[in-house]
Amino acid sequence: MQPFALNYARPAAELEVTAAYVYDSGLQLNVLRDGRIAARDHALLRELGTTTSTAGSKTHFDD
Amino acid sequence: MTVLIVTNEEDVTADMVVVHLNASGVPVVRLDPADLTGGVALSGEFVHGAFRGHLSSAGRLVSINGLRSIWTRRPGAAAARAAAPSAWLTEEAGQALYGMLRGTDVRWMNHPDAAGRARYKPWQLRLAQRCGLPVPATLITTFPQAAREFAARFPDLVVKPVSGAHPQDPPRAVPTSRVAPDADFSAVAFGPTLLQRRVVKRADIRLTVVGERLLAAAKVADAEAEVDVRFAASDAPWRPVEVAPRVAEAVRAYMREAELAYGAFDFVEDADGTWWFLECNQSGQFGFIEVDTGQPISLSIAEWLARPATGEQPHANGASAKVP
Repeated sequence: MQPFALNYARPAAELEVTAAYVYDSGLQLNVLRDGRIAARDHALLRELGTTTSTAGSKTHFDD
Repeated sequence: MTVLIVTNEEDVTADMVVVHLNASGVPVVRLDPADLTGGVALSGEFVHGAFRGHLSSAGRLVSINGLRSIWTRRPGAAAARAAAPSAWLTEEAGQALYGMLRGTDVRWMNHPDAAGRARYKPWQLRLAQRCGLPVPATLITTFPQAAREFAARFPDLVVKPVSGAHPQDPPRAVPTSRVAPDADFSAVAFGPTLLQRRVVKRADIRLTVVGERLLAAAKVADAEAEVDVRFAASDAPWRPVEVAPRVAEAVRAYMREAELAYGAFDFVEDADGTWWFLECNQSGQFGFIEVDTGQPISLSIAEWLARPATGEQPHANGASAKVP
């Protein structure tokens, strides 16, 4: 009784980024361990893939 | 006048915009509705024919009447992290927060009504057609026989979710996938199924629209590789590309009709250079494009949000998501 589209489902990939930066409520920005602003480190963002269009989001449809 | 950003704390893409707003000296308050009633609080009174409301987030207090714009990015469910969360509390908190914000005349990126409507893929496909964008032949059906007949007319098909949502129990992704030529369509009866003629692509196109500004990028694709660019194991970078005037005109018409101030359009480019419309994500990601191309998407969003709130004409749905 599985819908047709689910024949093509695959396990969702989970991003492991929690250790890379942490939200600073004073700055209203995520900062790296050394205090730098994560959004300014484009090389890191590319590596982590956290700004990437990904499928499988738990709460958001839009990629 | 303050820019209100409604998103979760982990949203580093929103950070890219906050950095620009900070640099220009525009006040920002960022909150996640999930933090109602902990780190986020609200109050509003309707007295003597007037409304006065306030929000606070992590110690920042802002008057709702003092907002210049609202950017809804990736908000959590209201009160999801409350001390005693419940579906009822989420509904209560969401109604209180968004109800007050809807009562303002500020500019939205994007207004919740427009955003909600814009998520419907069948609606997107029809609007794209009406605006003159090429749309691959598509069928959405629960009739297995209709699927079989469609496959006979268009033998090379892909299947994708109608909603874009993904099953969570257990967490799975449903990428756009090629349908095998000998596929058994019986299971179409168990859920609406979106089948679409596969466009043999030479590139994926992401066209990001911020207000009137169009920023397009292309990623070269192997025609026989993974259909869904999100899953393609390609090292090809996104590169800036020009938007043909006819496409630009159609996309702007789409944005006007959809009452969107922001949209991330996905196209595939065929061998003739035609851009085929796949979808428009009203809150689509943009950081990965900016990182690869250097296109000033986050700056464009910051500039749009920072514009003075004067001179806007409300939309029919009560929004002021006018594309300036």
